[in-house]
Amino acid sequence: MNSPQLIGPALSLSLPKGTYFERFGVTREALMKVMSAALSRGADDCDLFFEHAQNNSISLVDGSVNRASTGVDLGMGVRARCGDSVGVSYTEDLSVKAMIAAASTAAEIASTGKQVDPVDIKSVGLPNYYPVKQPWEGVGMSDRVPLLRNWEAKAFALDSRIKKVQTHFIDSEKVIMIVRPDGRLIEDYQPMVLGYVTCTAEENGVTESGAYNIAQRAGMEMFDDQELQDRLVRKAVDRTTFLLGAGKPPAGELPVVLGPGASGILLHEAVGHGLEADFNRKGTSIFSSQMDQRVAPEFVTVVDNGVIPGARGSINTDDEGNPTEETVLIENGVLRSYIHDEISAAHYKVKPTGSGRRESFRSAPIPRMRSTYMEPGPHDPAEIIKSVKLGIYCETFGNGQVQIGAGDFAFYMRHGYLIEDGKLTKPIKDVNLIGNGPAALADVKMVGNDLVIDEGGWTCGKDGQGVPVSQGMPTVKIGSLVVGGMN
Amino acid sequence: MLELENVVGHAMSVAKAAGAEETKSAASWSSHMEMEQRNGVIEKTSQATSQGLVISLMVDGRYSGHSTSDLRKEAVEAFVKRAVDATRVLEPDEDRRQIALDKMGSNPIDELDLFDPSEPVTGGQLREKITDFESEVQARKSPDLVSATAHIWTSNSHGFTAFSNGFSGRSQSTSFGLGGEVAMLEESGKRPEASAFFSTRHKSDQPSRSMIAETLWERAGEVTKSGAGPSGKFPMFLSNRVAGKVVGSLLGAMSGVAIWQGRSMLADKLGEQVASSGFTVRDEPTIPRGIGSRCFDGDGLRPESRFLFEEGRLSTYLLDVYHARKLKMEPTGAGVSNIVVAPGERSWQDMASSIPTSIRVTSFLGGNSNSTTGDFSFGIRGQLLEHGEVVQNLSEMNISGNLLDLIKRYQEAGNDPWLWSSYRLPTLLFDGVQFSGA
Repeated sequence: MNSPQLIGPALSLSLPKGTYFERFGVTREALMKVMSAALSRGADDCDLFFEHAQNNSISLVDGSVNRASTGVDLGMGVRARCGDSVGVSYTEDLSVKAMIAAASTAAEIASTGKQVDPVDIKSVGLPNYYPVKQPWEGVGMSDRVPLLRNWEAKAFALDSRIKKVQTHFIDSEKVIMIVRPDGRLIEDYQPMVLGYVTCTAEENGVTESGAYNIAQRAGMEMFDDQELQDRLVRKAVDRTTFLLGAGKPPAGELPVVLGPGASGILLHEAVGHGLEADFNRKGTSIFSSQMDQRVAPEFVTVVDNGVIPGARGSINTDDEGNPTEETVLIENGVLRSYIHDEISAAHYKVKPTGSGRRESFRSAPIPRMRSTYMEPGPHDPAEIIKSVKLGIYCETFGNGQVQIGAGDFAFYMRHGYLIEDGKLTKPIKDVNLIGNGPAALADVKMVGNDLVIDEGGWTCGKDGQGVPVSQGMPTVKIGSLVVGGMN
Repeated sequence: MLELENVVGHAMSVAKAAGAEETKSAASWSSHMEMEQRNGVIEKTSQATSQGLVISLMVDGRYSGHSTSDLRKEAVEAFVKRAVDATRVLEPDEDRRQIALDKMGSNPIDELDLFDPSEPVTGGQLREKITDFESEVQARKSPDLVSATAHIWTSNSHGFTAFSNGFSGRSQSTSFGLGGEVAMLEESGKRPEASAFFSTRHKSDQPSRSMIAETLWERAGEVTKSGAGPSGKFPMFLSNRVAGKVVGSLLGAMSGVAIWQGRSMLADKLGEQVASSGFTVRDEPTIPRGIGSRCFDGDGLRPESRFLFEEGRLSTYLLDVYHARKLKMEPTGAGVSNIVVAPGERSWQDMASSIPTSIRVTSFLGGNSNSTTGDFSFGIRGQLLEHGEVVQNLSEMNISGNLLDLIKRYQEAGNDPWLWSSYRLPTLLFDGVQFSGA
């Protein structure tokens, strides 16, 4: 039996002889049988996706670390593909019988009479963009407790207006194994950690709540960084007390300056989703048929990147087993690539971009973003603010949404400032901004030289599937968006 | 099908042997089948059965909750033992203890009628039905149509829950759904989409294919050739199928955790007049075949019909056993079931006919609300109305304000309750809502 090579940090886990086969209780012979079943009705291709995930969460509420949860998810998803069509099934029972039954169900998408036979599987090595020093398997629940307490104590110490503090520690590790009939066997160990602090502040009868979180693909060593822990708490406190004195901007169309970092939510909603190739293949994206055309000014370059070290949106392999990469979507204002999974790549006759992702073995892979950001531009951030007579400056965000076909997008600003005569003046909060993707992109007036990849724990939802993503932005000025203020 | 009682019984006995004083455990088994067809071709079929186990534990007065999909006997044993160990490192929280057995109870499962006992639907039947439906959609095809996708699904779920004090209950339900989405190409290059999906507990309750197709095309008519309307304060007709967004934001502020943590605009307002006098909202857990109907809640309490708001007064908080103890109040049940606003006499068109300018909100895009302060700002699509006549389809607009102010501006309910969701709401009319647009 060929022993597949395990690449990456999982070597330090208690995995027998560096193979995931035992974790999933499968043999090479069984995998070949299951793939044969998936191909039995004449499908072009298939994939088996094994997953074993362990999640932990522990929280401090009102001074007491008195709640925790853990979760285990184990199963296999199988997909048979026939042209643009897919049949999918899954099972949490990894017996050979149950896996063959699932594969036979998926196989029914095809009825071509064609016969593809799987070839003998061999491990494919992967680069590692998230090496882990302290995997979660070796970290006890009790090791997390002192951090939760420290964050709480620091938050209270920073500002007397803080009346309540909650601290949360969430981590997970996911082992995946992808098997393909062309003989590829791809394995990855995917860690994730999220530190989360929420505060409630009171002043003069006004109560406000705010939060900050930091996420990485990392192990426990993320918290060796003391400055990171300080920042986590300080920003949670600052974002809460800021709201106590914040008001609303005027309603209507205004110039908008997006601060560096989390403003990438605009790209994610206004551009990223519209460039996911499944929508374009179906003709339902506003960016359909705009390839190689100018969609933004010369100084706008937008990237979707799966290989930023330690980023929440990074992946060593996509969930179809394809190598991930840095994909330039818009280069100097010209649309250069969609975000592809295998199906859309075959449809457009291009190479997959390593963007076929799935929430779990229960869902089918579809084109998804990883870390989406705009490259730094030529402008000085201070000059950008100075150029606005009356507008708003957006600093942090809650959530966003887009209508792919119409191109309308929205994002919810939690903290910002009014800009009056080129200066940041009144603090503002809780405002929805809305615009049209292609129109906003063409309306980018200035791009700062200060790109920041946001460190927050963003999750992107599409077709009911959530996947971890990152986003980033330099300071950017948009000519006009509709601001949901009050007159 | 999995023997749910056995799985739960095994997990609970392992937990007890490992030192848990109290346990609650639930196992579930479900199967689903769905298909997606676009422009005449089946693009996706999905079929699977699924299983899971959850268990919550009290160990030395400490509490935690756990879930797994790995139900192999030895795996469950290791999982539960590890969960018990993890619980020991926490601090005690006696308020997590189960409520007394005599306070627990269940609505009769047969009366809820959530499970359709008729013959299961086959893949062949789904294929036939989705094809018929897509033909129905395509039959009304407009020349601008770029994509029509039809979806069909069916599922059935079974659950068994047990508490270590002896209370236990079953749940079972079926779901049948059919619907679709269309995208139209406009001269501007925009491809606005509309969708309509209908889900029912029983197969025989499904609306006809032509009714669904008609609804889909009606909504398509609402989204084409849209643009931003004027900024200003206007009467707002909140369309029946999206009114849940506003009502749901209020429910969030009524939850035990929001009240206890001081993150509620409704804290200290129990029994007070918070909305205009016509604002009455009920929670109805026992509607037969209701999407939100249920037998018992997570604490083993029997959900009862109740007022959430009665003629503008806040009638209750939504308190589970834990947060009720923290607040030194009686538990009222954390969850809500079917949210009902009694329909009024008039259609929204009738109500709008006497108003010079109003806006009908037909969908939301992004936005959020702050449960601590009540501030909200939501993106919307809709229609600008003059004396009830549609004069423009609207997009790229926001509504903003404070929820406590908004519910004081509530005027009237339409006669069109939306019965295909757990939010069984009619169109709701509010006065003087801030819109931002062009």
